Amino acid sequence: MLTIKNLTANVDSKEILRGVDLDVKAGEVHAIMGPNGSGKSTLAHILSGRDGYEVTGGEILYKGQDLLRLETEERAQQGIFLAMQYPVELPGVNNMTFLRESMNAIRRSRHEAEIDAVSFMKLVREKAASVKFDQKLLKRSVNAGFSGGEKKRNEILQMAMLEPYLAILDETDSGLDIDALRTVADGVNLLRSPERSMIVVTHYQRLLEYIEPDHVHVLAGGRIIRSGGKELALELEAKGYGWLLEEAAA
Amino acid sequence: MNQQFKDYSQVVSQYIGNLPNDGGDWLVAQRSSAAERFTELGFPHAKLEAWKYTGIEGLLKQGFETLDKSPEFAEHAVLNQFLPEPVAGRLVFVDGVYQADLSTCDAVGITVGNLRSAMAASDRTVLEAIGSLSGVGDHGFAALNLATVHDGAVIRVAAKTSLEQPVELLHMATKSAEGQALRSRHLVMLETGASANLIERYVALDGVAYFNNLVCEISLAQGARLTHQRVQHESPKAYHLSDIHLGLQADARYHGINAAVGAAWSRTVIHNRFLDRGASCELDGIYLAGDGQLTDFHLDVDHAVPHCDSRESFKGILHGAGKAVFDGLIQVREQAQKSQAHLHNANLMLSRQAEIDTKPQLVILADDVQCSHGTTVGQLDPQAVFYLRSRGIDEQLARHLLCLGFASEVIDRFESETLRLQLTEVIRQQVRG
Repeated sequence: MLTIKNLTANVDSKEILRGVDLDVKAGEVHAIMGPNGSGKSTLAHILSGRDGYEVTGGEILYKGQDLLRLETEERAQQGIFLAMQYPVELPGVNNMTFLRESMNAIRRSRHEAEIDAVSFMKLVREKAASVKFDQKLLKRSVNAGFSGGEKKRNEILQMAMLEPYLAILDETDSGLDIDALRTVADGVNLLRSPERSMIVVTHYQRLLEYIEPDHVHVLAGGRIIRSGGKELALELEAKGYGWLLEEAAA
Repeated sequence: MNQQFKDYSQVVSQYIGNLPNDGGDWLVAQRSSAAERFTELGFPHAKLEAWKYTGIEGLLKQGFETLDKSPEFAEHAVLNQFLPEPVAGRLVFVDGVYQADLSTCDAVGITVGNLRSAMAASDRTVLEAIGSLSGVGDHGFAALNLATVHDGAVIRVAAKTSLEQPVELLHMATKSAEGQALRSRHLVMLETGASANLIERYVALDGVAYFNNLVCEISLAQGARLTHQRVQHESPKAYHLSDIHLGLQADARYHGINAAVGAAWSRTVIHNRFLDRGASCELDGIYLAGDGQLTDFHLDVDHAVPHCDSRESFKGILHGAGKAVFDGLIQVREQAQKSQAHLHNANLMLSRQAEIDTKPQLVILADDVQCSHGTTVGQLDPQAVFYLRSRGIDEQLARHLLCLGFASEVIDRFESETLRLQLTEVIRQQVRG
């Protein structure tokens, strides 16, 4: 699904990623953990094509093609989805319109027919119920005046509607209380499938209690310094990042 | 300029001179004083504060003339412009000429007609109402309008009549409007406790150049309510000038929802006078300006009596080399205690070449009032554009959706679904991110 080879990248001429390697196969869930400032969000943003990041070396292959050559919208059209740490408010843009325009943009890019209004309404109600997203919020402007939990649930709803092949969850747990975290995680778990891969970026192990990863990677100082199974997350929870950083420095 | 002014003055005196002398036009006295006023004022110029950013050189260069000629048009072209919603009445003007055959009114308690017929019938109410709110004219074009007015709509709603369906006032310009100065004057009068909804539209069939110079006087008697949806969607080569004068008696409520999306040059001035306590005036507006376009809104809300409320909310989208002018003046006079006045103007700039000159002005002389004003000038949020793109929407559509989102707050206030859809479509087509 996704192969990252020796990726290096700068932000404002400062080297943030210093050689990241990662291989994500279809159906796998990878957790990327690490201390603040380790480059986790930078990696998520580069995958989604956000401006402001300069890739200085290495490559990213998504389904065998060079991901970095694709525009942000082309990546989304080809099945990459980024659930954002800080979902943006879009005053005046109706949530339903937003979802429908997104779905249709993706369908058009795949030469599929646009979804008709009735089927869309049925689908959006069904998906909203499955991720426990308040139906009333569908009629409001995207994220405008939503609580932190509602914004994150809206991200998961979008993901459920767009059915990506590769979903990247950037600190989806930040700012959520335990109940909100659980509903968001339930929503994500519903979307797990053998065709869909996920990269879960998080600072804390907490989220991984609900979304069980197949692989855990620790990103520090712009490199993956340790990879392991889900037990690595537990070890980090118990011992913090300090020991790993020391080992890496040694 | 001087030569042009002489030409215009000559045209005006000729026009008045040629009017029938048989009493069919009892505006003669008013026309003459307006002509004098025009000679006195001349054309507006940049040294006048109200015209500082709204040049008229292009307008004068066109040398528009007033010709009393009948428009040539295909009836279906006009019918196509009718709103599909059922209406209580409809008044149609083509190239400024009243079309009795296309105008209708079946509802009880409302009289619609045209100014010329009212003049022919020596209707005293109409005679007294002309100029009662506007005066002879506070700038040259307004004086010119009164001096040479051709025709216009007269809409009267009887006391306690409540019209559920809107009244449509449609102006259409056709090819035969080319080079013409159209001068219409509308009167809207709601008697005590009457309630109505007026949809006033300016549309054009072709890319014709003409000058629509309008004055509209609206008086609301005690407790009357008017919702006024107004769309300026003139030809891209047209010039449009509207002076709207509102007079609100006790507990009257006026809500104006304005859109200015057409014309090469347009200026809309809304004067509101509160004449007694408890009245309310709400004004919403959306304007667009792109390459070669200038769009101007001037508001003049005068709180001269206590216990009245006003709210103004205008939004502008400027793209290409478009230029807009917004001037919102609210005066709260010394005796106007317990006034509430809130003014907001927001502008979205989509290009570096676009220009906005915005000036909110609050002049408050009373001390027990609630007033606020705010202005913003900004660009599309790159984070928002990215957010939409990350969901598969290409950049152009993303920018369109965000522009529509910006405008929707005003567009959603139009009660007519057709108008909401039309305006959304205009923004979709015209606004280039």
